[in-house]
This record gives sequence, C-alpha cells and structure tokens, in this order.
Amino acid sequence: MTPRRTTRQDAGDNPPPDRSAPGPGPGARDAVVVGGNRIPFARAGGAYAGVSNQEMLTAALDGLVARFGLQGEVLGEVAAGAVMKHSKDFNLVRESVLGSALDPRTPAYDLQQACATGLEATIAVANKIRLGQVESGVAGGVDTISDAPIAVSPGLRRALLAAGNAKTFQQRLKAFASVRTSDLKPDAPRVDEPRTGLSMGEHQAVTTARWGVTREAQDELALASHQHLAAAYEAGFFDDLVTPFRGLARDNNLRSDTSLEKLAALRPVYGKTLAGTTPSMTAGNSTPLTDGASTVLLASREWAAERSLPVLAKVVDADTAAVDFVHGDEGLLMAPAYAVPRLLARNGLTLDDIDFFEIHEAFASTVLTTLAAWEDDTFGRERLGLDGAFGTVDRARLNVVGSSVAAGHPFAATGGRIVATAAKLVAQRAAETGRPARALISVCAAGGLGVAAILESA
Amino acid sequence: MSAPGSAGGPDDQRRPGAAHDGLAREILELDGVPSLAALYAKGVTRPLVDRLPGRGPAGGTPADLPPVTYRVGALETRGSAVAGRLAAYAAHVGEPPSDVLPAGFVHVLAFPVATAVMTRADFPLPLLGLVHLENAVEVRRPVRLGDTLEVLASADDLRPHRRGTQVDLVTEIRTGGELAWRGRSTYLAKDVVLGDGSPADARPADGGSGDGDHEATTWARPLPTARWTLDAGTGRRYAAISGDRNPIHLSALSAKAFGFPRAIAHGMDTAARALASVAARRPDAYEWTARFAKPVLLPGTVDVAVTPTDDGWSYDAWHGRSGRRNLSGAIVRR
Repeated sequence: MTPRRTTRQDAGDNPPPDRSAPGPGPGARDAVVVGGNRIPFARAGGAYAGVSNQEMLTAALDGLVARFGLQGEVLGEVAAGAVMKHSKDFNLVRESVLGSALDPRTPAYDLQQACATGLEATIAVANKIRLGQVESGVAGGVDTISDAPIAVSPGLRRALLAAGNAKTFQQRLKAFASVRTSDLKPDAPRVDEPRTGLSMGEHQAVTTARWGVTREAQDELALASHQHLAAAYEAGFFDDLVTPFRGLARDNNLRSDTSLEKLAALRPVYGKTLAGTTPSMTAGNSTPLTDGASTVLLASREWAAERSLPVLAKVVDADTAAVDFVHGDEGLLMAPAYAVPRLLARNGLTLDDIDFFEIHEAFASTVLTTLAAWEDDTFGRERLGLDGAFGTVDRARLNVVGSSVAAGHPFAATGGRIVATAAKLVAQRAAETGRPARALISVCAAGGLGVAAILESA
Repeated sequence: MSAPGSAGGPDDQRRPGAAHDGLAREILELDGVPSLAALYAKGVTRPLVDRLPGRGPAGGTPADLPPVTYRVGALETRGSAVAGRLAAYAAHVGEPPSDVLPAGFVHVLAFPVATAVMTRADFPLPLLGLVHLENAVEVRRPVRLGDTLEVLASADDLRPHRRGTQVDLVTEIRTGGELAWRGRSTYLAKDVVLGDGSPADARPADGGSGDGDHEATTWARPLPTARWTLDAGTGRRYAAISGDRNPIHLSALSAKAFGFPRAIAHGMDTAARALASVAARRPDAYEWTARFAKPVLLPGTVDVAVTPTDDGWSYDAWHGRSGRRNLSGAIVRR
C-alpha cells in the first residue's frame, strides 16, 4: 500500500479548487524522475539536416530505453510533442513509440504548448502517476527547423482542395483558374506571433527596453551559459543524459572559447527600430534555431524500485501562467514571472529555499527581465499583489550547467532537457550534503505562456 | 495637435448627428445602395466637364453643400452575398468570426450612399483627390448580419483648412427605427479655397493634416505591441471587399499618377485593423476614432502600439524606421 498524504483528506464538503492550496492534494502519491536521455542539439541546417522529427524522437526514446533496460516493456504512456510539425505527423509520438524498442502496446499522445511542450508533458505524465492512473511514463519533445514543414499558399491550397472535390475535368480546370502566380510561392513557417505580427525576438526587444536590461548584462549571461555548459560536459555531467547521434556527441552550438569581447563584437538583430533605445539583442545572446529531441522517464516509486532503477527527484508541483501581451499589458515572455511566485507561495517556499534555478534562456534578456521584475518593488506590489519586491535570485544558483543560449533550443525538446538536468542536479546535491535539494524550473513560451515546476531530491 | 484619445478633440464638439439637426435638408430616397464603380466614373468625369468653358462652379470657389440627405430605406444584410463579404472583410482586417458586423464593415456597406452625395453636381469639392483626414464612428448597439439597415447620408460643415477645404460626410444607420451606428468622415480637398476664404481665417488644423515631417521630430513614439506586414496586394484586396477602387490603392503605377511613390493602404483598412486588435474585449457600444497622418505605402510594415486607457484603448501606428505616424485613434466604451 502506498503511503498517502492525509493532510486535506477531511475537507468533506468538496471545496472549490484553490490554486493556493499546497502539494499534490488528497490521495496523491509521488511521481519521480528516474532519468533522462536526449540527443545532442544541433544548429539548424547542420548535423541533422534532413533528419525528421520522428527519427530524432525515436532516437532519443531508444537511448532512454537502452539506458534503463526498458526493451520490450509496456510503459503507462509516452507524452511528447513538436512545435513545427508536418500534417502527416499527426500521431508523431505514437509512431515514434512504434519505431522504438518499447513494447508496441505502449500508448502515446501528442501534446503541444509551444516552447513549454516538454515541461507540460512532464507535468501531465507526473500527474497521471500521482493519481495512480499510470505507473510509468515518458515525457519529451522534439523539433526540427532543418526539416520544417513548408506549406503551399492559402490560394493554392484552396484550389487544390477544390480540384480534389471536383467531379469533372472542367471543374478541376476552373479550380486552378483562380490561382495567381503569387500563390505559387511556398509558405514557410515563421516564429511571428499570429496576433501581433512581431517576432518573438522583437517582442523580447520591447520587454528588454521596458526593463532597461543592458547589452553587457545579456552578454555576461550568455558567456556564463557557454562556460557552464562546457564545464559540465568536461566534468562528464551529461554522460548519462546525452546519447550521441549522427556523428554529434555534444551540442554543436556550444562555444567553449567564446568571450565577452567576441560577444560584444556582434551586431544587434532585434529591436533596431525601437524609439529611444539602444538595440542590444544579438545572435550571441539569443538562442539559435536548433534541431533536437529529449525524453524523461517518470514513474511511481514502486515501479522504479521493482526494476532497481534510480530515483533522482520527485515532481513537487507545477503552475502555468499566461499574460495579455496582445493589448500591451505585459511582455510576451513574462508569464513565468507570474507563475513562479504563485507556485512558490502555494508550496510555502521563497526564492531562498531553491538550490537550483533553471530559467530557460529563450534570450539572455528573458532571464534578466524576469529577474528584474522579481526585484522590482512596483511589479511586486501592482502585478503580484505582494507587499514589495518578490525577491532576488542568487546568480550562483542560476543555470549552473548552462542553458539554451549555449545548448540551443529545439522548441519542444527544451523542457525535457531541463527536467532531466534539474533532477540530476538535486540528486547530486542531496547525495553530497545529505539534505534535500530543490530546483525551480521556468520556461516561457509563445502566446504569452509560462510554465514553472518544482523538483525536489527524492 | 492633441494627443490621441484625449477629450476635447474636434469630434467632441461636432457630434456626427449634427448633420440632421435643425437643418432643412430634403430627404431623397434611393432605390438601393448605388454602385461605387458608377459613382467613381461620374466623379472622375464631372470635374472635367465642369472645367469646360462656361460650365460648373467658377474656378475652385465652392459655395454651399447640397441641402439633401440621401436615404436607403432597406439595405438587406440577409443572404450569402453579405455573409461572404463579411467573412472576407473579417479575414482581411483580423476580426474574429462573428455575426455582429464590425463598425468598419458597416462603413463599407454604407459608404456608397455617402459617395453618392459627393458625386452630385452641386457638391462643391472634386471627389477624386479628396484626402480622408479623420473618421469617427459611434456604435450605439450591435448591428447584426440579417438586420435590415436604414441608411442616411449627408454632407456637413464645409470649412476651411490651412491646406484647402474640408467637409464631413455623416452617415447614420438605423435598425428597427432606432439609431445603431453613426459615422463622420472628414475629407480634405487640397488647394481648394472657399469663396471668400483666405488662409488667414482657416481654423487651427485639427490633426491628420499630413504634417508628418514636423511630427516626426515632435512625437515620442511608444514601444510597439504589434507590427503589421502589409504586402503589395493589400490595397487591391481591400478594394475588392469594400468596392473602394480608388486607383491610389490599386497599384504603384496608378498611384504614381496621383503623386504617390507607391500604392497606399486604405485608411479605413488600417483603422479597422486597429479596431480588430481589441475585438475580443470591446463592448457592444463604443466609439472608434481614427486620424490619418502619413499614408501607409505598400508593401510596407507598420509598427503599432495599443495602449489600455481608463475607458478603452488608444492606438498609434507608425513607420518603424522613420517614426512617421500613419494613424492614431481610440476605441472608447460608451
């Protein structure tokens, strides 16, 4: 029998959902992170050019299966997704499972929440485990820019559909009569926000300007990301998290030899037309377009124990926030600045209780504007409803083994990379100190979304 | 120039309804909404005819406005034709799918009636070359697809402007006998001087006067919340939907003939995009204003800032690199 929490069991009259209520809730048990596996991330158009999402996700999955001896196992489920997806890949994750060494009777589903896909998948699988609906599961994500879907224009698509429905040759001809030359131009996927027409970089440039984040601060954070990631690779930290793929053993965006001088020499690429501001966001302090896939194995403690598998961390709690960026109320990538305070308060924690901060570096300035908001008195009072500033993040605890600026950011694969990394960090720290360690994960996403989660050594 | 959305602008003093208050205007019944193409043909040829020796008003000295109100008793919005046009309009400007007609679409439906007033022989300004300076719409209650609309249009308040002469075209939409929508469109006829007028009696310019060069140095543009990328076909597509096929919107070549370097976007298209940006949250009854400054050249990108205010939103749109303002206005709860 599973030990169950009984703290809120006697709330007999079925109270309304309270987002400030702590913990997993009545009857829930722990969901733990057993480990992770990803393929090295590759800059777009490079090592993985021509490799499909399904191939990359299957490779990451098979690496996980090999790492934990899951060949032929039926898992509870596999939940993953891709942001850039071909329409033929409607069942991408299930197809990847069928192509993997897992038992083909393992269920799977696709899930997508832009750059937060991997983290939201982790939360989804963890919640099913906590509810006892499954004993084990894999969360993950994959994305490719090199093999991105190219669509035909709306005009040509309408003509092709009409021609497909036509019964006679004349009707078919008529369907194409409306096609103009301009319709023949293919429609490449873009990272513009559909409701604003601004790219993510332009949105962040506005937020950067609003918070007065300097070029120097961004370059310093970018440099730290490269140095931390390089050091972690040298120390063997990723040996049991990354499996080489297609000739690549490390993330090939990593520049272990970069310097503040080199970063300072790069020209700004975003925010060049904003009045009264100095453009500061460069290719060096932004994430590059990247290909890659990641997976995380989650389970109940019993399931892991039965197989003598390690347990790195438990998933404590998670929160998703969204902001209104369309009407100028808040910056596009600022939702985590709201999700994290709510999440910590619900769990009775403050920033000082966190040993590792894993804040996704969509851009170096995304991290810095988030930290600036938390340190700002007005933001704390007017936006978070606190008495003052939310608090300060100890920079020595921030992205200690590098993050997306150095590793790259294959949109849906980033969540899995961070969850596995954070789980290993807290496990290591707890083993060193003999005390529990906590990690806070924060991922911003398109559409004004932000997801945060707490992991604790288990 | 007063700030966008601030009180005390000219719209506050001249409510759109003034045109139908107390003035002895003869109501002329039209059988239906006239064809814009035919009106344009008339609008283009009439000034030429007027310039023939011994014809028309004497050399650019307009006198009075036509003392008439044009009325279309029943503009039907039932049927697939209007529904299809609404869908095309909504997709073009970014309105969500709805059976409530966006205020800009009502303008499109009623525009030919106002245009008919402007093509009358006794309308003192030439139709071709009129510059749309401002637009103010008051939505009293939702107009829905399927409603039968009564349309009333007249010209009002002919007055000097420091660059010519301006006039308001006032259009009212009634449904079920009650006022639902009222629009006032202000147009400028450049270099046309009123009979006894001189630049000295011109009223202070009330905005949208195209004085963008001066404005570029005085206006502090905000940080954008959106960017519109308008391709070269934007004017042609809005022309096809609205019926407003003014050659300045259609192609670079036809626009050059009227002194523009490239085709320009319809002002009401850009104002409608600003309105659409708050569509999900705007109330049933609202006022929507637009002041048009520099035209938007096509293709082009426009930086936009939508700013929440106490009673709605104000908006500005400008050319990103030069900072020249294209339009500004507000959407205000009634």
